[in-house]
Amino acid sequence: MPAVVMEAVTKTYRGRRGGPPQRALDDLDLLVEEGGVHGFLGPNGSGKTTSIRVLLGLVAADSGTARLFDRPVPQALPEVVGHVGALVETPLFFPNFSGRRNLRLLAEVAGVPRSRVEECLDTVDLRERADDRFKGYSLGMKQRLGIAAALLKAPRLLVLDEPSNGLDPAGIRDVRELIRRLGRDGRTTVLLSSHLLAEIQQVADSVTILTRGRRVAHGPVAEVLAARPTRDVVVRVPDRDGAAAVLHAAGFALSPFDDAHGPALAVHEVAAPGEVTRLLAQQGHYVEELTPVHADLETAFLAITGDPA
Amino acid sequence: MSAALQQPPVTELPPTPRGSLLRAELHRFRARRFIQVLAGVGVLVWAVAVVVGLLNFGEPTAADRAAAQAQMDQMLAENEAFRQDCLADPEQFAGPVPDGTTAEDICGPPLTEQDMGGVESLITKQPFDLASAGTGGALAFAGLASALAFVVGATWIGAEWSTRSIVALLFWAPQRLRVVGAKLAVLVAGATAFGVAAQVGWLTMAGILDAAAGLDDPLPDGFWSTLLQTQARGVLLVVLAAVLGFGLTSIVRNTGAALGAAFLYVVAVQLFLANVKPSWSQWMLGTNAVGLVNEGGLTLFFYDQIDYSAENLGEPVTYYLGHLQSGLFLAAVAAVLVGVGSWLFARRDIH
Repeated sequence: MPAVVMEAVTKTYRGRRGGPPQRALDDLDLLVEEGGVHGFLGPNGSGKTTSIRVLLGLVAADSGTARLFDRPVPQALPEVVGHVGALVETPLFFPNFSGRRNLRLLAEVAGVPRSRVEECLDTVDLRERADDRFKGYSLGMKQRLGIAAALLKAPRLLVLDEPSNGLDPAGIRDVRELIRRLGRDGRTTVLLSSHLLAEIQQVADSVTILTRGRRVAHGPVAEVLAARPTRDVVVRVPDRDGAAAVLHAAGFALSPFDDAHGPALAVHEVAAPGEVTRLLAQQGHYVEELTPVHADLETAFLAITGDPA
Repeated sequence: MSAALQQPPVTELPPTPRGSLLRAELHRFRARRFIQVLAGVGVLVWAVAVVVGLLNFGEPTAADRAAAQAQMDQMLAENEAFRQDCLADPEQFAGPVPDGTTAEDICGPPLTEQDMGGVESLITKQPFDLASAGTGGALAFAGLASALAFVVGATWIGAEWSTRSIVALLFWAPQRLRVVGAKLAVLVAGATAFGVAAQVGWLTMAGILDAAAGLDDPLPDGFWSTLLQTQARGVLLVVLAAVLGFGLTSIVRNTGAALGAAFLYVVAVQLFLANVKPSWSQWMLGTNAVGLVNEGGLTLFFYDQIDYSAENLGEPVTYYLGHLQSGLFLAAVAAVLVGVGSWLFARRDIH
């Protein structure tokens, strides 16, 4: 039985202050099998958080169906919510209550024993600061408390939306380790929404990639990678836009992107890299770097979601 | 986190016990800093009011009477001096004196103590009169507690929206109307307790003042029954005010906006309309609040509408607001606000 199913889900937000309507989800399909870690990837505004909100009954879809553990949501959400833990965007707690009191309030709602609160505080290494007020927590501590809250119900489905936000490198590593362990326990399904491609690649067994509210790729990570073109190259030139115009005019499909090294162009289906160099040089664009693309998830993600130049 | 990283034991949870949401909300209500501060400040203000009352009520001493007599004598002397000036030159005070009018007619006779209200009226220290102050005090305590209850009701749900913690709560209790119902039930219970505490505060204060500085006269028949009924209606007003604050804030989803709207209503709408359109007073929340609690209800006089019937010729039109009518009106407004707020909450997308 799949943990999550969304079929042809559409959601359009009304435009604000007379602006045009914004289509957040466009016939979105999502399938998350039970067990393991499922990555949910997409650029900002692609509809990841809206999808999660639809699953959790916070946002009503215009059309389509959504199911959790084979039960329709939001209608049957009360039946399955006890099995679902979620951290969506920023952790939301009462600022004047301590971390422990915030968790206890939530535990009280679901009849979770207090000992479980302490277990979860231990899990995120927050027990020593648990009696401090939430508003005094650092961003990372708030995030850890949010993860602890999501774990309180010992959920069969754990939905984590950008769980590494605000965490230091050690915290990020620990969260990934925790997600891996949960994914391997045979009982928990983790739906991990993240813009950190490395995070998804490191911990996810399967992945769904969406852009503009539509699913554009899905399946086991290895399959998604294998389906990506392997004849892509990354090109760096001083004038990316000018180079993009030249290559586009020559018929190449392009995906401009920015990374730690600066602006770059992913050029797809390049039969002979020398042709790219020659075309650019003829127009006065001297290549600073031309690198064959390895089939990693980042490349796949950029190739799938990048705007053709 | 790494040192302590342990996957928590995986165990199935027992079914959610009944009433758990209510208990959690009650827990939060009691733990709210605003409520605790409000309770502390309320006790402090009450204690100060008792002390001020003890200092100002009591049997006047001989010195109090002598001071009042001296004040009265001084007022009469000043008035007589003025009168003598008037008699000496009445035109200076009243212009040309018509024929047939004497200076005595213009300046009047000498004032007496009775004309000035008697010496007793100048003695500020008087015994506490429980019989006359009982229901008035209950009304005052109810009014003050209602204003605070409105703020409590507004912040109770407003804090959920400002911190967006209501979103987190919906991960645990997705039935939105159930969530609203639990919050409302806890608020009503809390407001009832607050209203009762306010009236107990008044009874205690009145008891202390009566014992320490009260009249020795026996209380009139039916006093306690009348007072307790007034107090019960006062508690009802406190609950309705809390629900009004809750409902209004549920609609606008912002405590500041709700309190601002309430302030605007009281200052601009209610006071403005009371002057411009007095006959609309019957539909004002403040008027109905008084009509609900005040012993005998409230009779409104519409000075913009004169009664030309034979029996009341020239009198302003009156309108009587009874307890039941006022209570039903306030309850209806509260129900509409909560209903609209809940309906919006049930169908809104929540981000």
